[in-house]
Amino acid sequence: MTAAALPPLRRRSRLGHRVRIAAGLFACVVFLFPVFWMVLSSFKDQRDIFTMPPTLFFTPTLETYIGYMQRADINRRLINTIIVATGSGLLSIAAGAMAGYALARIRLRGAGTIGVIILLSRGVPPIALAVPMFLVARSLGVTDKHITLILAYCTFLIPYVMWLMRGFFLALPRELEESAMIDGCSRFGAFFKIIVPISLPGLLSTLIFSMILAWEELLFALVLTNRHASTIPVSIAGIAGDTVNGANWGALTAVGTITVIPVVIFALLVQKWLIQGLADGATKG
Amino acid sequence: MSTVEIRDVRKSYGQLEVIHGVTVDISDGEFVALVGPSGCGKSTLLRMIAGLEEISGGEIAIGERVVNHVAPKDRDIAMVFQNYALYPHMNVRDNMGFALRQRRLPRAEINARVMDAARILGLEQLLERKPRQLSGGQRQRVAMGRAIVRQPTVFLFDEPLSNLDAKLRVQMRSELKELHQRLGVTTVYVTHDQIEAMTLADRVVVMNGGVVEQMGPPLDLYDRPQSLFVAAFIGSPPMNFFEGTLAGAATLLLDDDHALQLPVPVPGEGRVTLGVRPEHIHLADEGWPAVVSVIEPTGSETQITARIGEHLVRVLVRGRTAARPGDTIRLAARPADLHVFDGASGRRREMAL
Repeated sequence: MTAAALPPLRRRSRLGHRVRIAAGLFACVVFLFPVFWMVLSSFKDQRDIFTMPPTLFFTPTLETYIGYMQRADINRRLINTIIVATGSGLLSIAAGAMAGYALARIRLRGAGTIGVIILLSRGVPPIALAVPMFLVARSLGVTDKHITLILAYCTFLIPYVMWLMRGFFLALPRELEESAMIDGCSRFGAFFKIIVPISLPGLLSTLIFSMILAWEELLFALVLTNRHASTIPVSIAGIAGDTVNGANWGALTAVGTITVIPVVIFALLVQKWLIQGLADGATKG
Repeated sequence: MSTVEIRDVRKSYGQLEVIHGVTVDISDGEFVALVGPSGCGKSTLLRMIAGLEEISGGEIAIGERVVNHVAPKDRDIAMVFQNYALYPHMNVRDNMGFALRQRRLPRAEINARVMDAARILGLEQLLERKPRQLSGGQRQRVAMGRAIVRQPTVFLFDEPLSNLDAKLRVQMRSELKELHQRLGVTTVYVTHDQIEAMTLADRVVVMNGGVVEQMGPPLDLYDRPQSLFVAAFIGSPPMNFFEGTLAGAATLLLDDDHALQLPVPVPGEGRVTLGVRPEHIHLADEGWPAVVSVIEPTGSETQITARIGEHLVRVLVRGRTAARPGDTIRLAARPADLHVFDGASGRRREMAL
């Protein structure tokens, strides 16, 4: 069929489609440009970074990567970040999914109120919690440990996971578990054998979001860790806030790039799950 | 196989009681349908038998064992849900074998039982498919297959045909009946469709507002409804009703001052409702005069809508009729086909025939 043969409505909606794509592309450029500039700058030497007007053409160098990473113990911080993000992601998904299931399914007086109160706890500004948390950690002698940071992150990740998964579970027909319970499962069995496998896309996308939140968290990491368990965002803040030597922009962009790359690779790997999970949440939740 | 005894069972949610003491004895191998309008408590009662709802009062016994506090998985029942509740991540074979795997039966036996059920239901070709690759009727069959492989003592059905289109529903209905005749397992079947209840069940329990209105064999309910509610609920097209006041033993004075002469005396006095089914009214030389307003022929029978005074009355006659809209016809019914209900209580008043 040629374009002329199409009814006007089809032609107009086709135009609308193009406009939407153009708008999408524009938004992508606006949002991705800072990232692009960061990656680009990380391959420049200090002089090229400050060239005015900024240039797209320069001799790329790995100097900042090699030099800074050796000096600032970036490898260890990267490993710390991976440990903390994975640990808090897994712990919060395990506890949060079960809590969300309970809120969605178990008939309990005041269950709705409990859910709302847990959610409201996220309304407390993290800065208000950071200092008390530090004091608690210090009295327990657990400052600068991975587990401390993992538990601290769980305080905001679990409510988040719980609320997301509650919506997801509410969208599943109750009869699935009921059928499983008649077929010989306990409630736990029904949850793990039927509900969890069905909810994998939702669980995975929630896990990824939690891990990203933990990956980029700065405040608690700054307060609760020192050398041993310190994470990447703390290094970036350290470079940016270096009042003695001034901000080392080369190092800043290089470490920034290193921080972003694993997240991007991870997101690309699980893209299919991520989109499916989001779409499920949108249509059923 | 086993009996199911429901003794004075109650259900409340907080202060609100929704089932007010229901007693039903279901004998071994019997097919009992619970029927009623939505919200009458039929599904809740079924879910209490299954163990999915707690029992607030009274007792339920399956095979003479009181199961009030027995977990669903230990009641030896199988249930088919309205939305089938097939496990979406398992294929048909695994769906049907799930309960048996839970019981840790040997693999060979699970296979044999699944194949057996698949053969009965014509599912052999579909065993490797996922539920989303099946049509509504096929899903329905898988849900039944999942129940059959269990070889339970009781089958519970919660509106299993409601999600199917009309044609498939009729087909599955007879398949279900055949299945019950073949397996002979005690069955409790919930439906809001009185035709389904009438055609399938050995005994129908009509529920309304959390109480049993009447129970009995389908034709008993049709022939001698014990209350106005049952009379209105059972039968299609529905029974005609005339509300009025008795003026003498065999005269009913309708509210529009039209007087209906009854062929037999009605005991008592005061306000009553007279009921007569469309198929029990015939055209006669003498009888209640009525003006035809609509004629609807279907070939095998003809439905006539006519007016007695201001009262609409529906008449179903076999074959065809010469009557035309505007004609005055005379309607009559056999005394045995008249039902009289008390105006205050809605209960049946027996007539002296």
